[in-house]
Amino acid sequence: MSKQTAVEAQLKNLIEENKKREHKYGLYQAILLDIFFVFYSILVVQRAIYYKFFLDLRDLPFSWIQIIIVFFISVIAGTLWALTRTSLSCKLFGVAKDNKTTKWTIELFGWFLFDITFIAGWIVTKISIVSLFSPDGLKGAGRLFSALFHPQFGIFDDALFAMIETIYIALVATLISIPPTLIISFFTARNLMRENKVTFAIYYVLRIILNFIRSIEPLIWAIIFSVWVGIGPFAGMIALLVHTIASNAKLYSEAIESIESGPMEAISATGANKIQIVWHAVVPQIVLPFLSFTIYRWDINVRMATVIGLVGGGGIGTMLMQYQGLARWREVGLIILMIAFVVWIMDYISAKIREAIY
Amino acid sequence: MLLKVQNLHKIYKSGTHALKGVSFEVEEGEFLVVIGLSGSGKSTLLRCINRLIEPTSGLVEFNGKDITHINGEELRKVKMQIGMVFQQFNLIKRKSVLSNVISGKLGSLKTFESILEKYNDKVYNEAYRCLETVGISDKAKVRADALSGGQQQRVAIARSLMQNPKLLLADEPVASLDPATSNSVMQYFEKINKELGTTVICNLHFLSLVRRYATRVIALRAGEVIYEGSPRDIDENWFKTIYGEEAEEVEIR
Ligand SMILES: Nc1ncnc2c1ncn2[C@@H]1O[C@H](COP(=O)(O)OP(=O)(O)O)[C@@H](O)[C@H]1O
Ligand SMILES: [Mg+2]
Repeated sequence: MSKQTAVEAQLKNLIEENKKREHKYGLYQAILLDIFFVFYSILVVQRAIYYKFFLDLRDLPFSWIQIIIVFFISVIAGTLWALTRTSLSCKLFGVAKDNKTTKWTIELFGWFLFDITFIAGWIVTKISIVSLFSPDGLKGAGRLFSALFHPQFGIFDDALFAMIETIYIALVATLISIPPTLIISFFTARNLMRENKVTFAIYYVLRIILNFIRSIEPLIWAIIFSVWVGIGPFAGMIALLVHTIASNAKLYSEAIESIESGPMEAISATGANKIQIVWHAVVPQIVLPFLSFTIYRWDINVRMATVIGLVGGGGIGTMLMQYQGLARWREVGLIILMIAFVVWIMDYISAKIREAIY
Repeated sequence: MLLKVQNLHKIYKSGTHALKGVSFEVEEGEFLVVIGLSGSGKSTLLRCINRLIEPTSGLVEFNGKDITHINGEELRKVKMQIGMVFQQFNLIKRKSVLSNVISGKLGSLKTFESILEKYNDKVYNEAYRCLETVGISDKAKVRADALSGGQQQRVAIARSLMQNPKLLLADEPVASLDPATSNSVMQYFEKINKELGTTVICNLHFLSLVRRYATRVIALRAGEVIYEGSPRDIDENWFKTIYGEEAEEVEIR
């Protein structure tokens, strides 16, 4: 019995220490965040609201000295503020005192942050009711809409061909993406890789690379590849391919992470090796989600291929760009209608297929 | 002696001290039942024996060989000789009963062969024989998740029989089955033990099942062995020590 109480006491100690450590850690985080809040507030009020709105300056004055001064003020103010344990950040990291001052500062400062951000956003976006309802603007919009409803069918053949090109670009990108995505996804599934340090390092590095690739929009990849391999469908296809691999590898590996571990354990208990465990216990559990993600991705890629065409990725998007440049709105109208129709059809088909699989 | 466990400790990364110096021995042909409240360390004990997890200290000796800290190819060889049946059956749901049973053989098949899933007749015959042992060979082509719980557990038993195990571990194999099915599943363990001579170590919850099937009993409480002996000697007093004062015996027939 005494052994047991000793163990319990040890555990209690551990938990206490952990709490203290977390508390300290939380305060550090709160200090950093408060410094940021103060810094942000001063800059937003000074630059967006004062310079841009009140002084109506076109080119904002910029000097590092000024920024550094503001930064030092923020460091001091933010730190002091967090140390009073009544700031917004203290509350966010759970280290705030539970009193009236805290409640008040949080409410006041929270609204202040929200308001200045919204006002700054309004100013930066140049929101203007006047131009939304100006007669000239309305006339232009009217011209465009009427063109949309009177599409020029003379270019139908060309547009159809370009549309098919777009669908094929999306299809090829999706198909080629499957084998590399499959392989990568096993290496980015936490439950398969966490066992030893080497595999976990691979997992970690791969995740970072994929996150980076995914955070760059396909449109930007298309610009990069149109410089690399020349403007056209091929550049568009590679752009989609790269982004598809990175996005689907994440979805695939999440599917792997959510499988039941019981069957894996059972197969491992029979003395099967790693490859056999993956093939017989992991793969059967993930084929359906994988198939479903891939079909959905084809659908997404058709839409993206259209947009990518706008920057020279080939297909219907490129065609749209050309007629828009010539201000031939009735042709543009036809193209937009075709795009809407195909996107709608693809959406429907992919949803139906995915339903049928499950 | 088939299995020797000596002063075994297991401390999980979370700090839980799940086994605190467990020692016992198992002779060939025994039907050993491990009882204890949930959380007493039964599953941990079985997982240390077939080395799904590594003990923190102590000794596990299987068939005269120290397996406490082995790994890699050596560990796979040992795992192949120890079958395991789980409470949740752990079948591959989307696959047929037959391929589930064959997956018990993976350890002794070539990786390449097992990926193509083209096995020779010997393997198929063996799988059917294992299915017959548990009386379910007519379901061979059915998808595993189309079976009832009791049937799935019998498939899981057939899968472990496919290993030709020297030792069969069962972690509360009937805990998610109804009483009648429980008994029928337990009878297959008994049959395997008596007819094939396979040693069985089984975690159980219900004393009535223990009395009926065990040749020897170990009781765990908070990671320690508090009783070891014949199932007949567990009287009212022992029962209360194992399961606590509040407990009352529930009959399963
Ligand atoms: N993987 C694990 N990680 C951490 N603690 C665990 C793990 N598995 C079991 N435990 C803990 O070890 C103790 C014994 O659990 P277990 O062996 O599952 O008991 P039983 O099978 O008798 O219910 C419990 O306190 C449980 O919470
Ligand atoms: Mg258990």
